[in-house]
Amino acid sequence: MKTTNPQHRLLALLSVPVFLFLVIPTAIVVPVALNDSRYITFPPEGFSLAAVAGFFADKAWTSALTASLQSAGIAVVIGVLLGSTAAIGLHGRKFPGRSAVMGLILAPMIVPTVVLALAFYQFFISIGMVGSIIPIGLAHAVIATPYVYLTTRAALAGLNPALVRSAQSLGAGPLSVLRHVYLPIILPGLISGALFAFSVSIDETVMSLFMQSPGATTLPVKMFTDIQFNLTPKIAVSSALLVSVATIGLLLQVLFVLRRRSTARMLPLAVSAQT
Amino acid sequence: MTTSVISAESIAGTGSASRGAIELRNVSKNYGDVVAVDRLDLVVQPGEFVTLLGPSGSGKTTTMMMVAGFEEHTAGSVLIDGQPVDTLPPRERNLGVVFQNYALFPHMSALENVEFALRMRKIPKEERRQRAEEALERVGLGKMGGRKPRQLSGGQQQRVALARALVFNPAALLLDEPMAALDKRLREQMQEEIKTLQKSLGISVLFVTHDQDEAMAMSDRIVVMKDGKIVQSGPPEEVYNQPLTDWVASFLGDTNLIPCTVLERDGSEALVDLGGLGTARVADRGASGENYAVSIRPEHLKFRPEGAGGNGGEATLVSSTNLGATVRHRLTAGGLDLQLRELSADSACRPEPGGQVFVGWDPGRAQLLVLES
Repeated sequence: MKTTNPQHRLLALLSVPVFLFLVIPTAIVVPVALNDSRYITFPPEGFSLAAVAGFFADKAWTSALTASLQSAGIAVVIGVLLGSTAAIGLHGRKFPGRSAVMGLILAPMIVPTVVLALAFYQFFISIGMVGSIIPIGLAHAVIATPYVYLTTRAALAGLNPALVRSAQSLGAGPLSVLRHVYLPIILPGLISGALFAFSVSIDETVMSLFMQSPGATTLPVKMFTDIQFNLTPKIAVSSALLVSVATIGLLLQVLFVLRRRSTARMLPLAVSAQT
Repeated sequence: MTTSVISAESIAGTGSASRGAIELRNVSKNYGDVVAVDRLDLVVQPGEFVTLLGPSGSGKTTTMMMVAGFEEHTAGSVLIDGQPVDTLPPRERNLGVVFQNYALFPHMSALENVEFALRMRKIPKEERRQRAEEALERVGLGKMGGRKPRQLSGGQQQRVALARALVFNPAALLLDEPMAALDKRLREQMQEEIKTLQKSLGISVLFVTHDQDEAMAMSDRIVVMKDGKIVQSGPPEEVYNQPLTDWVASFLGDTNLIPCTVLERDGSEALVDLGGLGTARVADRGASGENYAVSIRPEHLKFRPEGAGGNGGEATLVSSTNLGATVRHRLTAGGLDLQLRELSADSACRPEPGGQVFVGWDPGRAQLLVLES
């Protein structure tokens, strides 16, 4: 990168420390996970994959990882369905109570998680739905939906309303309009929304803690309960795992955006070419 | 930009000559208390090119959208080929629509765009590809089928939109200011091409524009709209030369409005008192109102030799501006400001500004109309 402009150089000079400040505390879990020690220590005393191997050998930890992935899967599928259809449904429509509906969709982002956790806990107890990962996944779907809604809505802002009308005038029914007009345009929004939904669910601790049961203990909950009793480096390993998942997700998204820009929307083309 | 002229055979198949009538019966559209279209009656005959002309807010686009089915009318009835379509959704009305900015699907190639309507009609892949390719061929874009809309120029996008709207052999074509985004030269070229295409297909067209030149150039009939109502309807020459109100006269171009008092009317002619310009016989289409004026287009006002008699009188030349092909003279006569336009070639020996001249007009070129304002 050329920094011939003094203003650019100053910007870089100021940005680097901020960037490091943001990234180092997160990245620090990686050397700790690869530490050659039976406890969480810093600075690391040597390099070893023992803790990583230990993590994957320990059924309590792997089932926590599976539970996390399951809840995230539920959250992504339901969140994407609800969030995107809500965004499309509300797009360009005016009716009384529209802002109330929007407020309701966004409410899970504003309501304190602990309040939601208590509410979900009581609700699922009262309908007798406890002891599995499903209620946790459903609860995660509720807090994931607003993210998908927001990213889809942002993508829809670029939609020319005449496209919908021209599709209709050419004989397209609602489903064809959805597939040929909306889907290609909201796809990038859907993908980033799905990534958001995934990371929201993977990261969520409070609700998962309230609704945990044997066999339905997610990774953050397992970390939280373990850290109170033994400082095993497996906690650092799971942290490193979560960080890598988040990083991979972010990179995928960046890659997708770049690809889309350079190859001029190859993806929606591929979608339409299949039909 | 390709310059090929759109040719028409088989772009939309055959058999469209006898159909395509559009009828609006007493149609109104209200948005709350605001009346966008007010009890409109309009008929587009099969094969007719009808233009809705009016300023923004006159209700012309709303009217078209009600025909297309995108806007629901508050009252009245819309008929296509004699059948009421009030309850039909847009996709079942079988109308080709070209939108203002073409509204091509950005992720589909030109060919896929044209194919879309055939695909929605479940036409087998080979047949629809062939028909779409033919349609593109006819609009001069045979080799551009693989391109995405953003790789095409404005004029090419317009042609794709046209091919897409015609490929499924629609009952009629609705064009919503389709040339607004093109530059002047291309716009004139497209006007001619669309007109040629429309004639050879024999398809009915309902065209919306605020551009009076475009309306004059293309229409069989111009329907002038204002405030949700039709103020005048007729062939372009009639609307231009025989406006019923001063508003129509001014909307369709420059004109001289001379306030007058009506002395006699016999239905087709009127004797009027033009104040400083004396009395004159003028054409009369029976418009009635409180105040009257006579409209004379600047190109119909002529310099006359002194003492030639007839309509008109003495005037003072204020200024002369050469506009290239024509010269615009500003005059005052009897306390009125007048405009006279003549070919530059004819303006060789006019006096300097400040000089005295005589002006007059042919009786048929002066039109009695109602002063609205």
